[in-house]
Amino acid sequence: MKSLARAAFSAFRLSIRLRVISPWSYLNWLLFPLLFAAVGLYVLSGPGTVSSHLVYGVLGGGLIGYWSVTYIDAGNSIQDERWNGTLEQIFATPTPLSVIILGKVSGGLLFGLLAFVPTAALAFFGFHAELPALDPSRFVISLAILTFSFLSIALTLTPLFALWRWAFSMLNGFELGVYVLCGFMFPVAVLATWAQGVASVLGPTWAVRAIYASTVAGGPHDFAVWWAAAVGLSLLYLVVGYFLYALVEREARRSGELALA
Amino acid sequence: MKHLAAEAAIFGRSTYLQYVALFQWATLRGYVAYKVLLPVTQILFFVELGVYATGRQHALYFALGNALQLTANAGIFGVIATVANERQYGTLPILLASPANRLVTFLSRSVVNVIDGIATVIVGLAVTVVLYGLDLHHANLLLLGLCVLVISLTTAGLGLMFGSIGLVMRDAIIIANIVYYVLLIICGINFPVSRLPGLLQLVAYGLPLTRGVQAARDAVAGASLGQVGGLLAGELLVGLVWAAAGYLLFRWLESWARQGGLQEAY
Repeated sequence: MKSLARAAFSAFRLSIRLRVISPWSYLNWLLFPLLFAAVGLYVLSGPGTVSSHLVYGVLGGGLIGYWSVTYIDAGNSIQDERWNGTLEQIFATPTPLSVIILGKVSGGLLFGLLAFVPTAALAFFGFHAELPALDPSRFVISLAILTFSFLSIALTLTPLFALWRWAFSMLNGFELGVYVLCGFMFPVAVLATWAQGVASVLGPTWAVRAIYASTVAGGPHDFAVWWAAAVGLSLLYLVVGYFLYALVEREARRSGELALA
Repeated sequence: MKHLAAEAAIFGRSTYLQYVALFQWATLRGYVAYKVLLPVTQILFFVELGVYATGRQHALYFALGNALQLTANAGIFGVIATVANERQYGTLPILLASPANRLVTFLSRSVVNVIDGIATVIVGLAVTVVLYGLDLHHANLLLLGLCVLVISLTTAGLGLMFGSIGLVMRDAIIIANIVYYVLLIICGINFPVSRLPGLLQLVAYGLPLTRGVQAARDAVAGASLGQVGGLLAGELLVGLVWAAAGYLLFRWLESWARQGGLQEAY
């Protein structure tokens, strides 16, 4: 157990060090969220808009950045290993792949949290927008649950990225679709009924709903239900991930095409 | 005349090679991911954001703006990638060592992406018609088509400018990401340019899309060529200036890259 924790921490530390020197990292946690926050704040603060909607502009850019860094960390870390010729070694080591990925994704989560800083600063200084009725304890719990949800998704998806290179391209192409379905910058309630159905099986949707609810006084506040839904779905992803890791380990050894996939 | 024909042949061959070697979405999965999924979800995201902020009655404003902005997907990402990928595949030093006419080589990088930009907008407009009921009955469709062509050309002009940076920069595609999303903010795609601070408004009118998207919005409302001719001429001029500046930068950075051996750095 101790050696696994050490391996995960090493992967975490390496992930952080690589991010510090990577220009892509700064694009993902700094520039990209800022650009989205700027559009969101302009649109949500326009003439004829409702002032309470502005809270989505304050946090939306940060949520987008947080998610982007997390899933990109999971996907790109595998692609980078492939391109650097180290993916096969990672599979061959006695340390389970999931432990190494856990360390890498944790590094991404830490960097992803940084995305809230510039976006909240832009909202406050550029648009004089703030969170009207913040409930700190519920906000922190909701953010922690969102973090767990992102971690679960990243851990679950990563074996797919290892097995199929195109899987990351597809998720990358669908990136803005995730923003829509998870309600990062507007509530899922504005979507068509079928889209709300799809959104309801995504853990982050419930956690994000709880985050926004913890910043405003009005509206329903079913925190227990939302938190339970987010945690329950995330645990379900991890169960699926457990089987996926086994499948990927088996397929990678059977086909011998890990480096080529 | 013979010289011109030879240059035209090089241009054609270079364009073809750009497509087969550097158009990185020329696989079904790649195309679906970046040329169908990305445009569709971009439109969905910004339209739903706009609807939430301003009401369902304004959905078409956001849908049309984002459908047209998709030209930048090809014009910016595609064109910049043609230089960035030469570096990644190790062919940039060979390209710079060749005696081919630089202007021909430079301009040929945009052709496939201009065509692709038009195709992407057609996908975007189709989504807008199907999902948000864009009514084109009163639209001046020929003029709308002209606007799309002009916007595709001008965004490619800007792409050529930033693509040149790929001669000396390893991660030029980062520039593509920044430029793409900056265009989304300041070119009147999701809110009027007049809401921007004064300085940014100046920048907006120095960039492609700003006038072109306005002209296209007018064309959808039934405007004639005479009414939007000035906007389109301005849009073309902006694109030409960026392409010309890009060519000058390309020549300068080529020389710089040779001196520092930067074209081989990866």
